[in-house]
Amino acid sequence: MTPKPEIRKAARLPLAFIPPGQEVRLAGFGDEIDALQSEQLTAYGLAESRPLRVLQQRPMTVILADEIELALEHAVARHIWVEKDAGAGQG
Amino acid sequence: MTAITAPNSAILLVGHPNVGKSVLFHRLTGAYVNVSNYPGTTVEVTRASARFDREAVLLDTPGVLSLPSRSDDERATMRALLNEETRCLVQVGDAKNLRRTLSLTALLAELDVPMVLALNMHDEATARGVIVDIPALAEELGIPVLATVATGGDGLGELTGSLGHARRPGALLHYDADSEADIARVGEAIGRLAPHPHLAARGLAILYLGGDAEVAAWLEEKAGDRFPEIKALRQAASHRTANRVAAVLARERSEAADALAASVIQRAPRSSPLLAQRIGQYVVHPLWGIPILLGVLYLVYQFVGVFGATTLVGLLEEDLFEGILNPAFTDFVTVAVDVPWIAEMLVGPYGLWTMGMTYALALILPIVTTFFIAFGVLEDSGYLPRLSVIANRLFALIGLNGRAVLPMVLGLGCVTMATLTTRILHSPRERLITVFLLALAIPCSAQLGVVLGMLGSLSFTAVLIWTLAMVGVLMLAGFLASKLIPGRRIPLVTELPPMRLPIAGNVVKKTAGRLKWYLIEVIPLFLIGTFLMFALDKLGVLPAIIEAGEPLVTGWLGLPKEASAAFVMGFLRRDFGATGLFAMADALNPIQAVVGMITITLFIPCFASLLMMVKERGMKTALAMVVIIVPFAFFVGGLFNLLLHAVW
Repeated sequence: MTPKPEIRKAARLPLAFIPPGQEVRLAGFGDEIDALQSEQLTAYGLAESRPLRVLQQRPMTVILADEIELALEHAVARHIWVEKDAGAGQG
Repeated sequence: MTAITAPNSAILLVGHPNVGKSVLFHRLTGAYVNVSNYPGTTVEVTRASARFDREAVLLDTPGVLSLPSRSDDERATMRALLNEETRCLVQVGDAKNLRRTLSLTALLAELDVPMVLALNMHDEATARGVIVDIPALAEELGIPVLATVATGGDGLGELTGSLGHARRPGALLHYDADSEADIARVGEAIGRLAPHPHLAARGLAILYLGGDAEVAAWLEEKAGDRFPEIKALRQAASHRTANRVAAVLARERSEAADALAASVIQRAPRSSPLLAQRIGQYVVHPLWGIPILLGVLYLVYQFVGVFGATTLVGLLEEDLFEGILNPAFTDFVTVAVDVPWIAEMLVGPYGLWTMGMTYALALILPIVTTFFIAFGVLEDSGYLPRLSVIANRLFALIGLNGRAVLPMVLGLGCVTMATLTTRILHSPRERLITVFLLALAIPCSAQLGVVLGMLGSLSFTAVLIWTLAMVGVLMLAGFLASKLIPGRRIPLVTELPPMRLPIAGNVVKKTAGRLKWYLIEVIPLFLIGTFLMFALDKLGVLPAIIEAGEPLVTGWLGLPKEASAAFVMGFLRRDFGATGLFAMADALNPIQAVVGMITITLFIPCFASLLMMVKERGMKTALAMVVIIVPFAFFVGGLFNLLLHAVW
């Protein structure tokens, strides 16, 4: 009998900490993101469990969400929580 | 779902920013509106008759990031939705970003107005491997859906053909039970107390619950003293959701859009990013971004400052006007006009031809032409929004974010238009600071060209000193303004549109449109200014002003006393004043040239931009800015006079 694969819970990290080139999933917005900004980010297509690709972190966080390239200040990216796909390497 | 055809009513183009609404508008009406590759090009509603149906009026609305409306440009779109007798909505969406497009569709659908969805930039979607099953999407939405490439004219025939088949779309979602109950309660109250002639009460209820200020104002006006009844229902909904009703509704629309998009999109695997994406990433790269920016600035300087302001001005002013036209016209007037003062008014030192037309056509026209071409190329390339990323840290020092770089750069084209564009900024504080800095330290294209032409012919050092002075003043004034004006800085979140190869035809059209504006606005003002100078001279007032201004102009600024005339001209347009200094360049040493240009650049902008400041920020604020700016310009000019004499 094949043992069940271990289910790893993914850690939540701030988007600002993710190295360029990595793909992550949006886990949620922190309380520091106010309602207006949260609405704005949602309008850009940032929604829970959507995949994002980090393109760069300096001078600002630049991500690709679907086909939308977005630049976010670290003050915002620090409060956007993301998860690496469970079981994914450091890649 | 029934097809609607109501004659003599409006067809509204609505959609997200930078999805090609204005290109489509131009294609469908023939009317040209400014088209660029950055969000926020359109900040006001434009209307024109449709080519395909002379009874139809098309409206190009500012792009909305989302609805309910928040920013000034979104509010302008909301006002159009509320107040126009709408035949149908044409939602223009970005084919490669279908999820986002459908989030807006989910809200527009609730308004119960006949709709057509144009999925524009279909070519870019295909290049990225995004394939949309259009018939399936049309079936799901219950409205005509078409693939278009507005820049190439693809799909426009089908689009105009589909307008007669516009349908009221079905709802994309049912909100959660609590939200649906809130919507039903508010919708019922709106239907009873403030029914809209063509927008559904349910749609207005969703917008009102989401906090749309324009809808609230409309309802308040319509419902009158019964409005508190509607307001109380919203307060109850806000209380239930801990003030997160807008976010809850937006999230649920986004989820519905996600689900629908996933069912109609196929993605072809892509091995590597497109060349345009790679270039876009290099432009904002931490290492390569600044060298690329310097390279771009150098190319613009070579094209505008060297080719336009030196080569073309030399050909036009020295060879054509001074060499051929002016002597010929002077000879003609001397012979044909018997009255000496009329002859002098035409061809004297302050002659309408020898000064007014020569300044406008020989000195400024070649400079603004080259500038508008260079600017048009940059606008269409997608480079300007990327500047906001590079400039963000610098702008943080003056209480702004990088988004303010757009109006600032647009100000280098025309401060008047840039003042209007400050509507893309999110807070009144940001707009106030930016309008002030535009009025103070951002030279328009004509003035910039004169500065580059005059100082560039002296030395690169002169250009550098002027540039550092302007940046220094901009930063210092911005820093002080950000400390004095209450409010907090908003961190930057901005979309970076794809880098695109500019289309020559669009750059030519934009340049021609801007030159037309220049010729219509500037030449009359130059002629009026010249006539005023002539009249002041003849009445003996100008010499008196020159004498009176001597302590300031000669003593403090260290300029020849005749330079006073240039500052008098500068009150009408600062580029007119700058041209006055340019014309007396031979009489100025390098320090005087730099000090003169610094002072006149910091002067109040042209009369048209002053009117725009009044329109955007009110008379009191505009006058306060003028009262600050004029003495400040002379103060800084004098400081540089002292400083440069000490070190240069």
